[in-house]
Amino acid sequence: MRVQLAPSPASSIRQRLGAAACLLLAGSVPAAAQTSVAPGWQLETTGLFYGEQARARVVEPMARLARQFANGRALSLGLAVDAITGASPTGGLPTGTVQTTTSASGQASTTTADAVPTHAFQDLRGAVDVGWVEPLGTLVSASTSAHYSQEKDYASLGGGLKTSVDLLGRLVTLTVGGGFNRDRVFPTGGTAMGLAPDSTPRLPGDNAKEVRTGLVGLSRVVSRRWLLGATGSQTRETGYLTDPYKVVSLVDPVTQLPVAQVNEERPSERTRDDVLGSSVYHFEQDIFYANYRYYWDDWGVRSHTLDMKVRHDLSSESWVQPHVRLYAQSPARFFVFGLTQGQPLPEFASADERLGPLRTATFGATYGFHVPGHRGEFTLRAEYMYQWLVGRPPTAIAPIPGTGGGDNVRRSIAAEDDGANGGGQHLGTNIGTLLIGYTVPF
Amino acid sequence: MRRRKLIALMLLAGLGIPGCATVHPWDRDLMAKPTMRFVPLPHEMAVDDHIYFSKEGSTGGMDAAGGGCGCN
Repeated sequence: MRVQLAPSPASSIRQRLGAAACLLLAGSVPAAAQTSVAPGWQLETTGLFYGEQARARVVEPMARLARQFANGRALSLGLAVDAITGASPTGGLPTGTVQTTTSASGQASTTTADAVPTHAFQDLRGAVDVGWVEPLGTLVSASTSAHYSQEKDYASLGGGLKTSVDLLGRLVTLTVGGGFNRDRVFPTGGTAMGLAPDSTPRLPGDNAKEVRTGLVGLSRVVSRRWLLGATGSQTRETGYLTDPYKVVSLVDPVTQLPVAQVNEERPSERTRDDVLGSSVYHFEQDIFYANYRYYWDDWGVRSHTLDMKVRHDLSSESWVQPHVRLYAQSPARFFVFGLTQGQPLPEFASADERLGPLRTATFGATYGFHVPGHRGEFTLRAEYMYQWLVGRPPTAIAPIPGTGGGDNVRRSIAAEDDGANGGGQHLGTNIGTLLIGYTVPF
Repeated sequence: MRRRKLIALMLLAGLGIPGCATVHPWDRDLMAKPTMRFVPLPHEMAVDDHIYFSKEGSTGGMDAAGGGCGCN
């Protein structure tokens, strides 16, 4: 059955509600692709359980309440709490001996021989956001949002504005938006001095960080089955952009073993750009979603992200949606695995693997279902992520325990991946996530 | 400048490709489905943005708010 959609302000209610729900969503769906919903409330609750092998654990309950009004206006309010515990890599290189690291807060953690050094941490983050959608006539809508979040060593206050215009008989939607964040960083134990020995006393006080984002998006109904979108955005960050808890190993030029470490130091400005292409195609039964993003910034990071999903209805009450995501990035210009002791220090240096030659592969699926006689929808998603660095240089060398060192017994850390020389250490990170959702209109 | 041209070309391509096709109102039944959106499950996108922002060096794409987390 085909239906004709009346070009009334109410025709974009559902999408506007969705836009309010996810703040400033670019590339919004053209009005022609929207359906009417009655005014009312909607409650969305989500629980995230996130776990890294031998590292961080996160439990994050979230709730969002949205109100759709008859005149096309929409209001949304979101709350989230993150409880984070576990350990994070320090950036230091593995050594052949047991290492004990004491964090700025005095929390000690022990790293076994040949393992990536980590520091223990725990944090609790609370976040609240509010969004408002305002139709401006029949072809234009504006949405605005604001958020605040607070954690032990970081606070963020920000907002955004987005305007969408329907064009060409509502087959095209042009979106322009922008956002601004004013954040504060107050590291536990004080701010580390960049490229100074990690034992150097830390400085008290807050550090400011500002984030400005602008974007332009265009989406188009290409055919009865195909929706296409393109978005370009630029983000400008200024202020304190260094990770106050990361270090860089100093490597002995002769033995190639890490012998000391200094705090990392990053530039105080960063300009990020990206372009995103999105496609939604409706086959006879299934719907195929595909996104590709190319990202680049003035730190030298380039990345490619491919994300694909297929939604398949199992029955009128249930569906399944497999998901694959592949990610690859090049390292920042100042990324190093380690610095050579005795050599002049560079202006900037970081061994944070998130600025390195990183790869991420994600596989998972969402299962959604309705309980007969109940209006709400349940969703359950399980995903597996594997994340690893490529191209570790030969400076990442450790002695085989119990052999006493020497060229003939050292081995590349990277070589351990394939189990050579006894293997035993896995440099990639295994990550599992479970997401439980429940959405109900009332 | 080259980057801006790339963005402009993508947007123009988005305009130009559909220019050869017309989708009549009575052909928009599938588009009326709530699942025919770039983000069919907004709560999943919000969670994923948070996870990948904290685990990778890139960000951007869908939202203009940015930041809001000390995780990276």
